[in-house]
Amino acid sequence: MRRLSSLAWRSLRARSLRSFLTMAGIALGVAVLFAALSAGAAMDAAVDRAAADEMGHADLRVQALEEQGLSRETVAVVRGVSDAAVVAPALERKTYLSASLTQTPSSKLPEPVTVLGIDVVSEPQLHDIPLAAGRLLAESDRQSALITETLSTDENLRVGDSVKLNGTAASGPVSYVIVGIIRGQGSLPDAAGRLVFLPLGDAQSLFGTTGVTRIDLGAAHGVSVERLSGELVATIKTEPYLLSQIQDLADSLRGETSDFRSALLLVAAVVLFAGAFLIFNTLSMTVAERGREVGLLRAAGASRSQVMSIVLLQALALGVLGSLIGIAGGIALAALMLSWVQSSGPITFSTPSVSAWSVAMALSIGVMVTLAASLEPAWRAGRISPIEALRRQPSGAVAGAARLRWLILVFGVLALAALAAWPRATGSDSPGTSVSSGIGSGTLGPLAVYGLMLISVLLLPFVLGPLLRVAGVPFRVFRNEERLARSSLARDRSRTALTVGALVVGLGMVVALGTAAQDVRRIGADWLAETIPGSELLTSIRPMPTTDDAIKKELAAIPGVQSVSPIGTFGVPYVYTTQENGRTLENVVRQEAAAIVGADYQTDGRLVFVAGGGDRRSAFAALDSGGSVILPKSLADSTGVHVGDSIEFATGTNLASLKVAGIVAHTLPAESQEAILVGWPDALRIFGVTGADFYAVRYAPGQESSARPKLEATATLYALQPSDLSRVQGAFGDALDRIFRLLDMLALIAVVVAGLGMVNTFSMSVLERGREIGVLRATGMTGRQVWGMVVIEAGVLGLVGAIIGAVVGLIVGALLVSWSSGGFAPIFDPPWATIGLAVLFGFLVSIAAAIYPAGMASRQSIVHALQHE
Amino acid sequence: MILEARNLTKRFRLGNRDVDALRGVSLQVSRGEFVAIMGPSGSGKSTLLQLLGGLDTPTSGEVVLDGEVISHLGDRAATRLRREKTGFVFQFFNLIPLLDVYENVALPYTIAGVDPRHGETAVRIREVIEQVDLKGREHHRPDQLSAGEQQRVALARALVAKPAILLADEPTGNLDYSTGGEILDELWRSCDGMGQTIVLVTHDARAAAHADRVLVVGDGKIRDEIELGRRQDPDPSPLIARLTQLGL
Repeated sequence: MRRLSSLAWRSLRARSLRSFLTMAGIALGVAVLFAALSAGAAMDAAVDRAAADEMGHADLRVQALEEQGLSRETVAVVRGVSDAAVVAPALERKTYLSASLTQTPSSKLPEPVTVLGIDVVSEPQLHDIPLAAGRLLAESDRQSALITETLSTDENLRVGDSVKLNGTAASGPVSYVIVGIIRGQGSLPDAAGRLVFLPLGDAQSLFGTTGVTRIDLGAAHGVSVERLSGELVATIKTEPYLLSQIQDLADSLRGETSDFRSALLLVAAVVLFAGAFLIFNTLSMTVAERGREVGLLRAAGASRSQVMSIVLLQALALGVLGSLIGIAGGIALAALMLSWVQSSGPITFSTPSVSAWSVAMALSIGVMVTLAASLEPAWRAGRISPIEALRRQPSGAVAGAARLRWLILVFGVLALAALAAWPRATGSDSPGTSVSSGIGSGTLGPLAVYGLMLISVLLLPFVLGPLLRVAGVPFRVFRNEERLARSSLARDRSRTALTVGALVVGLGMVVALGTAAQDVRRIGADWLAETIPGSELLTSIRPMPTTDDAIKKELAAIPGVQSVSPIGTFGVPYVYTTQENGRTLENVVRQEAAAIVGADYQTDGRLVFVAGGGDRRSAFAALDSGGSVILPKSLADSTGVHVGDSIEFATGTNLASLKVAGIVAHTLPAESQEAILVGWPDALRIFGVTGADFYAVRYAPGQESSARPKLEATATLYALQPSDLSRVQGAFGDALDRIFRLLDMLALIAVVVAGLGMVNTFSMSVLERGREIGVLRATGMTGRQVWGMVVIEAGVLGLVGAIIGAVVGLIVGALLVSWSSGGFAPIFDPPWATIGLAVLFGFLVSIAAAIYPAGMASRQSIVHALQHE
Repeated sequence: MILEARNLTKRFRLGNRDVDALRGVSLQVSRGEFVAIMGPSGSGKSTLLQLLGGLDTPTSGEVVLDGEVISHLGDRAATRLRREKTGFVFQFFNLIPLLDVYENVALPYTIAGVDPRHGETAVRIREVIEQVDLKGREHHRPDQLSAGEQQRVALARALVAKPAILLADEPTGNLDYSTGGEILDELWRSCDGMGQTIVLVTHDARAAAHADRVLVVGDGKIRDEIELGRRQDPDPSPLIARLTQLGL
């Protein structure tokens, strides 16, 4: 032993099971953290890739806000911009392959395809179009198409084959000869690989339009994006548009994943927190166990700092090794997580990203948490008096002085680390609000959740006594064992509190997530029920003309159909003002809007008008006669708009002003916002809406089953996809469930970490009580009874953890529910099934954790135990 | 004079009452002297040893070791004192179970940051291992040794750094008659042959009979001082006779 530090390594090796379990706890915590970071980075990379795929080499994108797209005049104006070297207009529309439409049974529509009409010369200059076969489109091509490899495989199409696309009623189906096949899925994430490229002119004539949906621009050599952007703003005056750079696109895509990533990090922090309990408890026990040994070192002249450094070195070794193993495991976990969430969005996540940053972050957080958790035991070891070496028994001061104050330190370290790793804010400038999982990308909520868990653990020692009695009740059949087990748990309340604390935190998180999941699902269902005047939705991939109401009338005429209401969703250029440095600034943002028929809503009784939100009847009438809007409360609150005020839209050269006729609790959900409700006359006249995106159908009471077949058959004739509202709600709920199930699985890892801590605690407890157990055995207790005593101890502890975990989880869940309610009345509805499963899992983990120590205790030789010091 | 205690008192708080473990103890130990402190359980002899070795601080009075007042040292200075001037032997051996004999003996050097494998240090460690008759057992761990051998390792560890004073607290309390005798002989030899100053706390007259002088502690005070002188044969009879006179 050349240096004192080798004593630290040997001590770790000598207590190999304890060291292994502690390291496993750290590894699990770091694995979840690294998986969260790595999956987050992979999502970032996927988002950047998707944005890059979509924007290509374009510096700027001018995007149409109105459905008919940017006009020919605007395209001409943009082509004339001197700072742009390349101008690539394109038209994007969805349609069906004519062949697939006729082959499919009438009740189910086939998968649509996305058609992208491109400028065959400029598009390849800004977007890579890698070919798997054939050639690119040429200027001279007419009635020619490029398709993706995915579509080629799906539909068994080859170069030289024809692809027949449905167009407008006037153009009918048109055939195009496939001249090339693009590698893979193509560049539009929303197209899901079913993408067809046509020359722009062909696409425009297929869909009967002269407009384009976007114009991508490449800046001229030496021209900055800002300058190009400035010139565009100064030039385009004719119609509303959105100007975006690749970063804007990436930010908006990233915004969709930030909630999930925040939730992942919160769960990772909870698992690490549970890991910290394990580290602290283990090192505390080691210090207590080695009291006399440490006393001897002090008597032989070791300084406090030398003794502390031995404990800290052990922690460092466990932290570094555990973190490295955790990082390796985290890569696998991240891959599993990514494949699990793959189906919930259009973006393809590739393999987990293993960057130097994420490795360094996970390693340093793992080591920091380990060191933070070991500071108190190390400090306590340093305070051990050399007199300890003279004592016959380790003093209570050493054995029982585990303090919980250190938790605040660990909490601080983890909170700081989590803040450093938190996904950067990607919220839009829009004043609207969105409903989320409740965990949110803000940092205050997660900190509150985390703090609440900390407080509950700090309070544990105070409620432990009565809870042990309550949890002991089911074990009263084994009277003696139960009493002995309970008294053993009550002996060192700090240690028991720490052991059960990890379980409380893990189970609390599971229950909280269960509560939140149930509530978000309920909100989703309530939201749709409150805002959609029907129980069946007929959706279309393209706006359905509403001018003559022919479709509506035909559907409404079906026996058993009570009402049919067309609804169109679209973006509007909403003007709102902000104050900055005493100046009033006018901002224009894209705000989602929906065109509705006021009378239908009035008849169907949808929407809840808030107090001071106007008169229901007159608001709906105002909507139908034009010039008015109905706002969601969230938007009205954030912009300070009241009934009777006017709001403005930058719809062209002049601002269009609409009066607020009503304010309602919620409006239709659109693109994670609540839509501004406008009447159809305004939608068509001011916002260039060309038709309805879906029809809401209400059946006459009791006639749903008889009316549905006819309705579905008629809907399919118009390429309308029927879907039951409960199925839409179900799909929404299923997607959420998938995410929450993943979070639950990760939170359960915290329970497993708690289980590892329990193995340590029970093993230590058995060792400490060696003489006591020897006496019990000598006085007639059987090995089986000793085994039962330790297992009952675990059972009681598991029940205590499960009870407190459920209570803490419900409180945290209630908090999440109140944050995520988005204005819906928060209903506190405990997820009993989740609670039951969590309690059972916690109980079983505790019992499993006691099996080995119980075996150790029951096999202990009586003679040896009685010699034990 | 290597060690002097001046009017030492030590008061403990036991529950809600104060207990005076020492009530004004004064003593002097000369360099190379072997002093035994005797007394019944609870007489304050172990507390006195702790104060003499700088393990604890007195409520009042002072301890002077090798010309330095050690009774009110801060932690850092007390640590240095233990490292440089004192050696301890305990009743329960207190060896580090993870270390072998050589490493346990070398512990004071290791703590001081001195490499115990080379140079004079290694020579000294081997010398003291030989002195306690453990040559050939250097790489045995404590659990592979008998109780007597373990206590000899503890003795070697206390002697290795040539402390100014060796303090032994019931070093034979956990050993059988003959093994205990071997340890006491060892202690005596280190005193007689190498001039090691020793303060031994014991309640065993046979052990105390190895000392030059015996201080009898009772009720927190030194009740008697018995001069035995340096003797080749540690016959306990004169001491036992004197203790009997004292009613002990």
